[in-house]
Amino acid sequence: MSKYDTVVGLEVHIQLNTKTKAFCGDALSFGDSPNTHVSAISLAHPGTLPVVNKVQVEKAIRLGLALGCRINEYHFFDRKHYFYPDSPKNYQITQDNEPICIGGSIDIQVNGQKKTVRIHHIHMEEDAGKTIHDIDDHYSMVDLNRAGTPLLELVTEPDMSSGEEVYAFMAELQRLVRYIDVSDADMEKGSMRCDCNVSVKPAGSLTLGERCEIKNLNSKRFAREAVEYEAQRQIKLVEQGITFSKQTLHYNVVEKITQSLREKEGAEDYRYFPDPDLAPMRVTPAYLEEIKTSMPDLPWVVKERLINEHGLVEDHAEQIAADPYLVALYQEINNDLKDPKSVAAFMVNQVLPNIEAETYSESILPCHPAMMAEYLQLLKSGKVTASIANQKLWPALCADQSQSAEERAATLGILINNDTGFLEEIVTKVIADNPDQVKKYKGGKKNLMGFFVGQIMRQSKGSADPQAVQQLLAEALK
Amino acid sequence: MTKIDSDLISKLEQLSRLSLKAAEKEKITNDLNSIVEMFDKLQEVDTIGVEPLRHITHHINRMREDEVRGELTNEQALKNVPKSVDGFIAVPKFLKPK
Repeated sequence: MSKYDTVVGLEVHIQLNTKTKAFCGDALSFGDSPNTHVSAISLAHPGTLPVVNKVQVEKAIRLGLALGCRINEYHFFDRKHYFYPDSPKNYQITQDNEPICIGGSIDIQVNGQKKTVRIHHIHMEEDAGKTIHDIDDHYSMVDLNRAGTPLLELVTEPDMSSGEEVYAFMAELQRLVRYIDVSDADMEKGSMRCDCNVSVKPAGSLTLGERCEIKNLNSKRFAREAVEYEAQRQIKLVEQGITFSKQTLHYNVVEKITQSLREKEGAEDYRYFPDPDLAPMRVTPAYLEEIKTSMPDLPWVVKERLINEHGLVEDHAEQIAADPYLVALYQEINNDLKDPKSVAAFMVNQVLPNIEAETYSESILPCHPAMMAEYLQLLKSGKVTASIANQKLWPALCADQSQSAEERAATLGILINNDTGFLEEIVTKVIADNPDQVKKYKGGKKNLMGFFVGQIMRQSKGSADPQAVQQLLAEALK
Repeated sequence: MTKIDSDLISKLEQLSRLSLKAAEKEKITNDLNSIVEMFDKLQEVDTIGVEPLRHITHHINRMREDEVRGELTNEQALKNVPKSVDGFIAVPKFLKPK
């Protein structure tokens, strides 16, 4: 038991997958030429007026409903002021006093222990543009394509107590927002990122220690590492009796340490006030009901259905329900095959272990879903032997899909040959080639049967039906 | 009531990235003091039971469809920009590269 408790709260930014920006019709883009998705509004020209994107509000409400938040019937936008070249208005539109979603929680599991992390609130805001400092010696380069992108900021209560729990929280949130089609939550692209507020206190103490904030972590793994490093750093300071003040930190992913960002000059003062350009918002009960009925199934509901209606084992159901694309893939294959358990076992044992991507899509599959269905169909028909198909046919199909699964099996010569003459010939040959083993077998070493089957399978290049071989052998060795 | 003194003026200078001359400081101190006084006067109005006014029209839920419209070309967007490089807006460097 550690002498210290680590206390962590998160601020997670989730970029919405709308078509356009939060307050104007510029397209959302990633990786396009600089300043090609901008308008008079995103450039903050005088006299322009922002107008709220309807889908942004709908997606915020979806996430709130999925997390059991109270949806604030009346919510408003405020201005948060700061000067930075990537924010041409010199303020960010955000929600300060009356955010759209209040409360709620997410359940996570770490080392088999369930834990509930409470959510303080979720509010809508807009992202800033991007500034690049290393292209030119004298100038910084500003690209406003991202300026005005709709974000949700989700703020948790300080309910996590380790890097592991932070990882689990981010993974669960990521899965959820993908399920309800709110964000692609691709952390590498920055569509989901988090700030971690970390403090330590003597075990069991009710008073929180001074906290430090690690900014802008763009991977679950980095968040876990950074929190663990930071907690240890603070414990060392506390043990040496060194007091430290609230700091903003950056996680150096190369050296794996947290480092202080430049000190802020003077106290922050964002001078929040209600944005007079944006009319108040009301979520009517009818609208809320409409969104409720249009919500897709949540991951835990899908998992239960896979177990109860499809008869999958819990582990398989869990792994498939982990990602909406995997659920769709499972359904697509199973629609052809109508054999839930085989499809699930195939996905979990043969497909998933070889995929390392963070987000699933057809492009990262080893072969086309239709080919997977053909492969499983062939196995089910008994025209190939499972172990041989696994060793030879599956890799061949992943490498080249120009033939159907059955044609490919035929090319490889592993379609089961039911021609008794062909099998009898091999059986006779194997018996003739191994007189010693035959003698031992007849003398009582019945476990040599496996040896004979193996020899025959090899000589048939996998095209023999193991059951037929056994029968023929038993007959021949009498 | 909030007193506008030189400390507050220098904090405001910092927040708004301005640097004022002595004469300007004196003028703005007087201006701000009279603005604060006016607000103090307004504070005397009894507003118990009155909903805060957040917006001057009666509009509510003014929203638009999620459709692309109104984008400018890169050329149009950079027309009034003092300096641009390869489609970027170039601004004086404010952070050293890592």
